[in-house]
Amino acid sequence: MFHHHPGLPWPRRDRNERVACQFCDAVQPAPSLEEGEVAICGHCGETLYQNRPRSLSRCVGFSLAALFFLIIAHSFPFLTMEAAGNRTELGLWEATYALYADHAVLLSALTFFFTIVTPIVMSCGLLYVCAPLMSGKAMPGALIVTRWIQLSEPWSMLEVFLLGFIVSLLKLGHLAEIHFQTGLWALVAVVFCLAAAMAGIDRRELWDRLELALLKP
Amino acid sequence: MIDDPSSGDFAADLGLASCSCCGKLSPVDLGDCPRCGKTLHLRKPFSLARTIALLSAAIAFYVPAMTLPVMGVEGVGTASAGGSTGGSTIVGGVITFWKSGSYPVAIIIFTASVLIPILKIIALIWLCLAATGRSRARPHSHAFAYHITELVGRWSMVDVFVVAILVCLVRLGNIMTITPGPAAISFATVVILTMLSAMSFDPRLLWDHHRRSA
Repeated sequence: MFHHHPGLPWPRRDRNERVACQFCDAVQPAPSLEEGEVAICGHCGETLYQNRPRSLSRCVGFSLAALFFLIIAHSFPFLTMEAAGNRTELGLWEATYALYADHAVLLSALTFFFTIVTPIVMSCGLLYVCAPLMSGKAMPGALIVTRWIQLSEPWSMLEVFLLGFIVSLLKLGHLAEIHFQTGLWALVAVVFCLAAAMAGIDRRELWDRLELALLKP
Repeated sequence: MIDDPSSGDFAADLGLASCSCCGKLSPVDLGDCPRCGKTLHLRKPFSLARTIALLSAAIAFYVPAMTLPVMGVEGVGTASAGGSTGGSTIVGGVITFWKSGSYPVAIIIFTASVLIPILKIIALIWLCLAATGRSRARPHSHAFAYHITELVGRWSMVDVFVVAILVCLVRLGNIMTITPGPAAISFATVVILTMLSAMSFDPRLLWDHHRRSA
């Protein structure tokens, strides 16, 4: 039987597993790695997979942190701006809504998807999949959720939004009086936590652990 | 690293396919991946055709994205000059910022909106040519181009977010409003199409051709 120990790094179902390189398709044995080691394709030199140190706990920790910071980033504005006696607030929802109000519905929907939907899917999804895996269990629908996480990863553009934020401020320049608010710092934290959570666990390790958890009665 | 292209076993020759979702290696005859249930393919289906189709669409959308105004500025200044709407294209904006001495903004916008999309389109064309055997460069440089293309594509979206943020922020009563222009949605389409195009490209095709020609 395959005994699952949460402390055990990267359990495998099949000890003689083979792997094909994603780039050159060369088949080679897939050895178990020590934490921190990287497997490199013997044919083309691309990275095959890597065993991240303390992968599950890091992934769970950072995705939980990302979720908390997301809640803060959604509850507080990024900045308030005062000019000519008017006061405007900017937050994730305000940016999306401003486009919608200006009849740019498609653009608004894209912004909504890239800056609101995908980060939530990633942080909640990682938490939903990885937290039960700590005790070797898989929640119902974990396979589909993992696929969603992988699908939404390239489309999560909060860091790009942050760059856009900086550019906008530089563009506005001295036009108005600008006060940064809590939401902005929370957004910066979300960007770092999500990146750390996604990089915390190798895709193969996640699937190997899921496979074992699903096999358990 | 062994550079002899004929050495070793290759999954496609053995009838094995690595799952595009979970990476598990299984016989392609199974149809679906036994671990995650995704359909197995030896190569991404219609990889080249899809890449080229999406790329052509992206190039077509790039024209309005560059020539139409990305946002309309209505303000006291333009109103007194005849009440017309002052629109600015992306390139026009870059030039304005460069002239006014805002070099960081000019450089960021130029890189994200002009340089990256064009380089990405050129890189994808080059990769498609390489996959059909019309490039003499080594597969390693192709792999490098592929990595860069995947990594950098999303950052082009910055201009669309700048429009969204400015539209939201600049509602200074009767003084000035900014409205999203037609180029904003065209540009977002370009970014999405090039990203999809890069995703549908299968880098294994590069090595397939390298092996066949060796």
